[in-house]
Amino acid sequence: MQGGDPPPESPQVFRPRANRFYMAFVVSIPIALLIGGFSCYEVYRSPVWTDVSMPVAQPVLFSHRHHAGELQIDCRYCHTSATTSSFAGIPPTETCITCHSQILKQSPLLKPVLVSYNTNRPIKWNRVHDLPDYVYFDHSIHVNKGVGCATCHGAVNEMPLVWKTQTLFMEWCLQCHRNPAPNLRPVAQIFAMDWKPPNDQATQGPRLARDYHLDTKHLTNCTVCHR
Amino acid sequence: MNALSKTEVRAELDGKSGPQFWRSLDELADRPEFREFLEREFPAGASEWPNDQLSRRHFLGLLGATLALAGVTGCTRAPADKIVPYVKQPENVVPGQPLYYATAMPLHGRGRGILVKTEMGRPIKIEGNPAHPDSLGATDAITQAAVLSLWDPDRSLAPYLHNRISSWPAFQAELLAVLQKMDADGGASTRILAEPDLSPTLARQRQALLAKYPRLRWHEWSPAGATASAPKPDYDLGKADLIVAIGSDFLSELPGSLRYTRQFAVRRRVLNGKANPNRLYVLESTPTLTGAMADERLPAAPDRIAAVLHSLGAMTTENLNAAEKQFAEKLRADLAQFTGSKIVIVGASEPPEVQTLAATLGARFPAAPPDQLTDLARNLQSGNVKQLFILGANPVYAAPFDLKFREAVAKATFAVHLALYRDETSACCRWHLPQAHFLETWSDILASDGTPSILQPAISPLYSGRSEHELLAMMLGDFQPDGYEIVRETWRAGAPNDDFEPLWRESTHDGVVRKLSAPAAGAALVANAPTAPRLEANQTYLLFRLDPTIGDGRWSNNGWLQELPKPLTKLTWDNAALIAPAMADRLGLTNGDVVELRCNGATVEAPIWILPGQADRCVTIHLGYGRSQAGSVGNGCGFDAYQLRHSTTPWLAVGLEIKKTGRRRELATTQHHHSMEGRDIIRVASAATFRGKPNFASASLTSKASLLPETPPLGPGRYAWGMTVDLGTCTGCNACISACQAENNIPIVGKRQVLMNREMHWIRIDRYFEGSADTPRILHMPVLCMQCEKAPCEIVCPVAATVHDDEGLNAMVYNRCVGTRFCSNNCPYKVRRFNFLEYSAPAGSAFAQRQNPNVTVRRRGVMEKCTYCLQRITAARIASDLQSRAIRDGEIVTACQQACPAEAIVFGDIQDRRSRVSQRKSEPVNYSLLDELNTKPRTTYLARVTNPA
Repeated sequence: MQGGDPPPESPQVFRPRANRFYMAFVVSIPIALLIGGFSCYEVYRSPVWTDVSMPVAQPVLFSHRHHAGELQIDCRYCHTSATTSSFAGIPPTETCITCHSQILKQSPLLKPVLVSYNTNRPIKWNRVHDLPDYVYFDHSIHVNKGVGCATCHGAVNEMPLVWKTQTLFMEWCLQCHRNPAPNLRPVAQIFAMDWKPPNDQATQGPRLARDYHLDTKHLTNCTVCHR
Repeated sequence: MNALSKTEVRAELDGKSGPQFWRSLDELADRPEFREFLEREFPAGASEWPNDQLSRRHFLGLLGATLALAGVTGCTRAPADKIVPYVKQPENVVPGQPLYYATAMPLHGRGRGILVKTEMGRPIKIEGNPAHPDSLGATDAITQAAVLSLWDPDRSLAPYLHNRISSWPAFQAELLAVLQKMDADGGASTRILAEPDLSPTLARQRQALLAKYPRLRWHEWSPAGATASAPKPDYDLGKADLIVAIGSDFLSELPGSLRYTRQFAVRRRVLNGKANPNRLYVLESTPTLTGAMADERLPAAPDRIAAVLHSLGAMTTENLNAAEKQFAEKLRADLAQFTGSKIVIVGASEPPEVQTLAATLGARFPAAPPDQLTDLARNLQSGNVKQLFILGANPVYAAPFDLKFREAVAKATFAVHLALYRDETSACCRWHLPQAHFLETWSDILASDGTPSILQPAISPLYSGRSEHELLAMMLGDFQPDGYEIVRETWRAGAPNDDFEPLWRESTHDGVVRKLSAPAAGAALVANAPTAPRLEANQTYLLFRLDPTIGDGRWSNNGWLQELPKPLTKLTWDNAALIAPAMADRLGLTNGDVVELRCNGATVEAPIWILPGQADRCVTIHLGYGRSQAGSVGNGCGFDAYQLRHSTTPWLAVGLEIKKTGRRRELATTQHHHSMEGRDIIRVASAATFRGKPNFASASLTSKASLLPETPPLGPGRYAWGMTVDLGTCTGCNACISACQAENNIPIVGKRQVLMNREMHWIRIDRYFEGSADTPRILHMPVLCMQCEKAPCEIVCPVAATVHDDEGLNAMVYNRCVGTRFCSNNCPYKVRRFNFLEYSAPAGSAFAQRQNPNVTVRRRGVMEKCTYCLQRITAARIASDLQSRAIRDGEIVTACQQACPAEAIVFGDIQDRRSRVSQRKSEPVNYSLLDELNTKPRTTYLARVTNPA
């Protein structure tokens, strides 16, 4: 050994204050995950993803507000199989022509309908309410057991172009399948757009559920909707 | 797994007592390799990494990537969907509701009444027509699968001229010139080759054509040998106490088989605790489904069958060996006892010597099928035939090899082939014309008892197909033929003036013509009958049989039928030369050994399959395989047995030589798949035992203590669904498997995947042998999900994808399933099936049009299984709830139950004491499968009661 040099200090990569960065990093990861997860969750449930309240463009500028609202045409005039089949039915072009062979024949809005009728090519409507393929929904049983059109589809009579008013999430289905009474209405009111639960719905609902012979225990089985 | 030779099996068996019931010789011997094969639910390699070089680093890399990408799959949105309504909605069409059409399916020249279910115009399922005598509401496997052929994209799409695409107008232009030539010579150089078909309209057109061209000749031919003009004996099996079947598979191969099975089953059923079974003797050279139902069965070579029959008449039992002597003595005693209520049936493919002997016992048999093809081939070869019209048949593939039909057809200058596929014959003809499928055409046909049916289309022709009636109309000069009017014209003749329309509507609606009549069908030409080989002792016989699933080859391109395990061998996708264990022992052959079969101067290479119960010195080969132009499914499967079939000996040839080649061919058999490990599974007793101890099936059962929860997770609900399967009447015909496949969108997987135990059928029919390998008893047992009340599968599912509902269904929630396969591992019945790959038809394919819209199409990585046709339960529930009433007994019919000709499957509410299923379950022979496991299955079995002398 020469001289009295102190031994060289062992090289330090990080200064002591690096600990602060480290702590900040460790704390921020869960926070970032939480925020990220929460944002994903919110986006997933927001209209951005669910399309709730987003009007869907259609090949024909057909207005439900005009037909169902102002003209008071009954739902079943066009959606003929809603009470008898799983599928409510989209009217054939011929149904439009029953009136429009006389009314507004020259309107440019009606042109795609006339083209369809004359060329025998169907109109391709864009689906608004689209359930996943593994869900088997049946219109007839709902409509006949006290669930009104507007309960799920909203006030269609006020929509120029139709939009979804519900998310169609499974939790949304289930909250009614678990306890249908608050949403049940009398048979005469199924197609009414302006029906509001009466003040005594708390007593009316369960009574209707009994009258409709609803087996609420069975309604929450997986096999009711999935097969 | 290495196949065992018979000698090894014998060695293994020495001094051991194997299980009472066994599924194969390998199981009987029970060697360690076989144990390993059984214990692996999926064979070696199925659940492991394909290569050994997977390093730790690579593994961690894949693991990380999996984790990182796992969430991404959820980031896709459902694609925008379109709704396309009609422009003008047809009457009666309600979107979402099926529409049924009554029609009939031509099979071996006879019609079988069916109801076709259509969804938004697409035929998706075939059911039997209860009003039709040849169906009685039931179907067989082929009828169920016929709807798949309709959607087959390999079907012929357009007319072809010299194998180049052409058009109908181009054909008609040529036809016009040919017709002028025919007018000149009266049709002398023109022949028509049609399949035998008892269609009044076809008969009318044939008569018209022969009137117009008196020198034209019409030939009828089918490789199945059925001739429309030959009268067939008809039986009422319900009244018979004794049935003797000599080489006749009357329960599965005759046009009236579904009716016979129904009648037979009525007598075999234990009802209200009583059994009065008929007695069935079967004498046959190769095992059949009828043989499997026999109380006394004797496998014997044709010469030995003749010897046994001879001894019955001669009142002596010399020259018979011990087994034959025993059989003959019992049969003789019973023939004397049941003189008034016996039926003797002899197979059409038996040699004339046997048929004549059978006739002395009271058998009626159809006249030997006239061979009309030889005459046609000879005239083609000599150049006498210039114009040849082939309607539907495929003679280039299926004609006897000695006729050299390929060269013969080439000699015709104007050969026209109307067929569903562009097959071997199309390639040799000048014109190929696409034929319309029977679900696309108007026609008519008679049932086996003569009941007529109108065939009505369930859909317009998908491609440019035309029916044979329309082609014949063109030959009669109508170049704008309308099949509808052609058929109506036939029937209008027999109707009182104004009554025709309502009667026509009634006939098409019912699927059976009751109040209209058509002119009697004229007899077709009859030519020389085939000569028969002499039956001599110690010869080796070669037996030709139609394949039990793909028939004479016409269903080759039908994947459902290719993958359907053949009832007795459980082979899929292949045919094989079936030989007896003793014979295999002598020749040193094992399963899968490829041998050279030489007979009639021709040779074919075929793999060997050892079939217990096959007669010694008899080799059976099934027709219909080895096709080169069947389509993408059927090409290259199996070997072509027609290459050995001589026109003089269509069903039985003698002097077969077998030579080992040393090569092997892997055969995909399902006989060991999903094994329940030789437990006490199948229960059977004689009628005498049953009378002494009616509850023999369940008496010895003791349930073990169970770790499963005592009470079912849910329930009791409004209903409790349950099922019974009657082993006493089940013939193992496979109709239920095929029906389930059609109803529940079950995919096919192909031969390679079957070899890896990956077939997807929700029902399997386990076939068991009992007794010795040479003369075993054969038993069938359909196994489907038992819907256990205490289901072992449910408690191991980590994501609750399989759960109970309150009505006792063990539901499968496909969208929850992540594919751990724990459930399948824990299932003692092995009834769960896993989608290892994306087996289902892709959304854009023609086959996707066939799928049942009310059943989820499962994707890769999802477990699936039977749920008692949940879609049918739901449909009935909604229908009954709409009327605020309970579901009636019998309102829900599962697909398997509906198809079953023996009514062996009964489904219903077991809470309702009066329901049919409750009554069946209260029979003393009712037992639960693997009851000792305490799973409390909702599906139970009714033990088989036999009636041996």
